[in-house]
Amino acid sequence: MALEQESNRQLIQQRLNLFRIPVLLIFLVLGARLWQLQIIQGSEYALKAERNRVRSITLTAPRGNILDRNGVPLVDSRPSFDVLVYREDMRDREATVRFLTQRLGIDREEVERQFERHRGSGLYRPFIVKENAGMEDISIIEAHRGDHPEIKVGPEPRRQYRYGPLAAHLLGYLGEISEEELKSDRFPGTTAGQLVGRSGVERFYNRLLAGKDGVRRVTVDSRGREVDILDESEPLIGGELRLTLDLRLQLVAEEALRGKVGVVAAMDPRNGEILALASSPAFDPNAFSRRISGADWEELVRHPDRPMQNRAIQNSHSPGSIFKLIMAGAGFRAGLLDEDPVIVCRGRASYYGRVFHCWDRSGHGALRLEQAIAKSCNIFFYELGRELGIEKISEFARELGLGAPTGIDLPGERGGIMPSPEWKRGTRGESWYPGETISVSIGQGAVSTTPVQLLRAVGALATAGNLVTPHVLLHAEGGGDGPQGGWPVKRLPIAEAHARRLRQGMWESVNAWGTGHNALVPGEDICGKTGTAQVVGKEAAKRLGEGVEDHAWFAGFGRRDAPEIAVVVFIEHGGSGGGAAAPVGREIFRTYFENRRSPGAEGHD
Amino acid sequence: MTESEQRLFHGFDGLLFGALLLLSGAGIVAIWSTTGSVGFDSYFGRQVMYLAASLVLFFTLLYFDYHLFSDFIAILYLAAMAVLGLVLLFGFSIHGNKSWIDLGVLSVQPSEFVKIVVIVALARYYSGLEGDYLGFREMLIGGLIVFVPAVLVKLQGDLGTAVTFVPIYAALSAIAGIRRKHVVVLVLAAAVAAPLTWFALKDYQKDRIETVFNPASDPQRFGYQTIQSQIAVGSGGTLGKGFGGGSQGHLGFLPARFTDFVFAVLAEEKGFVGSIAILGLFLLVVFRLFRIAAEAKDRVGALIVSGVLGLLLFHMSVNVGMVVGLLPIVGIPLPFVSAGGSSLISFFVGMSLCMGIRMRRYVN
Repeated sequence: MALEQESNRQLIQQRLNLFRIPVLLIFLVLGARLWQLQIIQGSEYALKAERNRVRSITLTAPRGNILDRNGVPLVDSRPSFDVLVYREDMRDREATVRFLTQRLGIDREEVERQFERHRGSGLYRPFIVKENAGMEDISIIEAHRGDHPEIKVGPEPRRQYRYGPLAAHLLGYLGEISEEELKSDRFPGTTAGQLVGRSGVERFYNRLLAGKDGVRRVTVDSRGREVDILDESEPLIGGELRLTLDLRLQLVAEEALRGKVGVVAAMDPRNGEILALASSPAFDPNAFSRRISGADWEELVRHPDRPMQNRAIQNSHSPGSIFKLIMAGAGFRAGLLDEDPVIVCRGRASYYGRVFHCWDRSGHGALRLEQAIAKSCNIFFYELGRELGIEKISEFARELGLGAPTGIDLPGERGGIMPSPEWKRGTRGESWYPGETISVSIGQGAVSTTPVQLLRAVGALATAGNLVTPHVLLHAEGGGDGPQGGWPVKRLPIAEAHARRLRQGMWESVNAWGTGHNALVPGEDICGKTGTAQVVGKEAAKRLGEGVEDHAWFAGFGRRDAPEIAVVVFIEHGGSGGGAAAPVGREIFRTYFENRRSPGAEGHD
Repeated sequence: MTESEQRLFHGFDGLLFGALLLLSGAGIVAIWSTTGSVGFDSYFGRQVMYLAASLVLFFTLLYFDYHLFSDFIAILYLAAMAVLGLVLLFGFSIHGNKSWIDLGVLSVQPSEFVKIVVIVALARYYSGLEGDYLGFREMLIGGLIVFVPAVLVKLQGDLGTAVTFVPIYAALSAIAGIRRKHVVVLVLAAAVAAPLTWFALKDYQKDRIETVFNPASDPQRFGYQTIQSQIAVGSGGTLGKGFGGGSQGHLGFLPARFTDFVFAVLAEEKGFVGSIAILGLFLLVVFRLFRIAAEAKDRVGALIVSGVLGLLLFHMSVNVGMVVGLLPIVGIPLPFVSAGGSSLISFFVGMSLCMGIRMRRYVN
């Protein structure tokens, strides 16, 4: 028995021994796996654990306010709330979508579109599904924090354009930065999801206006609920911009353009400060400065009057008789007007085998320069143009900045066209006909200018050669007052004696029953020149059904002996410059001088 | 203490007992750390009470010769079957497992205790057999002894616990003497049964197995648990994040952090050093059991120890294997460490049997 038991015991020991090594192996495998996870990949997993528990919440920095020259706020921000989706904490996408559509009433298509749009971006990056959430939305979301931790409400400063469409083109609007823009260098220092300026000052001074977003890092639990705040960097509000714009003038300009298509621009010709810049039709930037674009965007872009276009700098037209001022300047430069020649207008004249008419078919009779400007006589300037030749005209006009962008601090400026034989060869491959020079002499033909170009050129003539850079920025908080060394002012060689005669001609136009008499403001020595640009070619054909009216121009300044405001008015298809544009100029001048005499006081005469 | 008692306790394995205490203590620390609460009715407080009860039972049972249990095992076995039947009829379910019974003061999972009964029963049956090897018929009867209660447990919906009966059968049969051809037959049977059981598995169980091979395929559910568990273990690094410093455990990223995933909490807070220490303690326990089995006075003693050893080893390796992402997620606790009274108490009962066997190895 004992022996048997002993052998049995040996057998059991043998069998037990069989398993010692395999059991040890199990421990070795587990130990090796722990080595792999904790020692080799330890830091990698530590990072994952950190990302698990830490969420970065962007604290959107409000953009800087935009004020007019007197400190009246035009654009500022107000607090609002957005509904955000944190996909990292999302369990069931369908449940999330259902909550958003059924409980918060968000359009399903919009929700799906946002999901689609952010498919490529990191899961930790939340996206907005609803802006301007109301108190009701917020309380619903708060009540469901437990079962829908992925849906949160985030504060978001909302851009507010106080006066709606007022100066919309100048101020611009915002839009969410696109993936391409992020990759390009057009908006340095931005991150995905940020709103950036899309046009106007918002775009041009985006860098000054944009603040620096803050970040709040929070600890969350596995359900995405915030447990603790780790740290927080405060958002830095963007720089405040003070514009050269005068709200009082801008309001008058906007009112004058109501229901019309056109431009009113006013500037201080001494330094280039833009006092008013209205382009009509306009749009309401409040409707655009959102992350979620509505359907009305398409409508505005497709509108035949192209309301998104800033006609003051992006559209160019024949300057018509306004160009006679440039002609006069070119005449002085060439020494042709020093003798004070007298030209007789008989209502018509023949050049190069073709008959050219004055606008007054009965003729103006004998005229000196001042009267020719005041009456806007064509024949006088035909003669002058013929004697000058296109080269001299073109050279002087270019000196005044025509045919090239003015350098205004707004995006998308066009240069217009100042034709020359060279230009014609280059663009059309044809040589210059002398008859074209006659057309150019009264601002017709190929010459094409933007309202701001004319404003600057007329200002330069009025101030005897002060060629300014038009600009809208007066002062930027923390960002200086414009470009290094200030806004460039070029001195052109124009004699004061010559300028005085030009001013006199324009004064007579307004004050001595000339074409610009509708711009008359009693007691103020307003100077002006009207223009009526014939609408020709394709543009006319397109509009034939409406009864084609000419484009109306007015360019002027005040006062005659010390110009401090220059104004250009352009009314598309407005009819005659004297009838449609000059009265608008008068309103601007009247407002300007009234306010100058007693700042802020209304109704004083 | 009488002389015989002194002689008895001469065989008490202090090293083994110390290892068990350390393991239980580590579990309590992990629970304390993740809950931060030490009240009477907290997870911590309850676990301390369970440990106290376990120790009382452990030392009480030492006084009884293990033959007392093996001789009356038929009664114990039948009683266990009856309890399992009652649970099936009147038990209540936690997390879909209808394996709990309410005893008024506490809820117990009888299946945990049944495992110990089954070990003793099979050891008793095998030890009474003639010859060096088990015959086919004997293996079949042994199989019935083990798998009838296992099927009852499976019927309660607790697949994990049911599976733990397999190592009991394997360990006891191997030590009692299994013929090579029977091993082949069993392996073949398992190979045939495996695909069949695959179809018998519930979808979530299949998912669990699939996610072991590709956790990212299902990052929200079982893949999530596997990934979070690995993050917890891995982020512990060499020395760990310290007591109470484990974000994975604290912020709820870890599932079942007191029970099935308690090892992940320890690995996160104590690092590689801590987790290797736990493994080391288990290694010590396992090899002490090897020795006790080898030194046992008789066949039944050696077989009981082998069964406990197999059960413990299986629990430990499957649980840790799951936590480190090597094995599918199966809800079986880490012996001595996981929170839960039934598991802790039944393992201490098992260890008490082993300790008793060691203490009586020279007693005739």
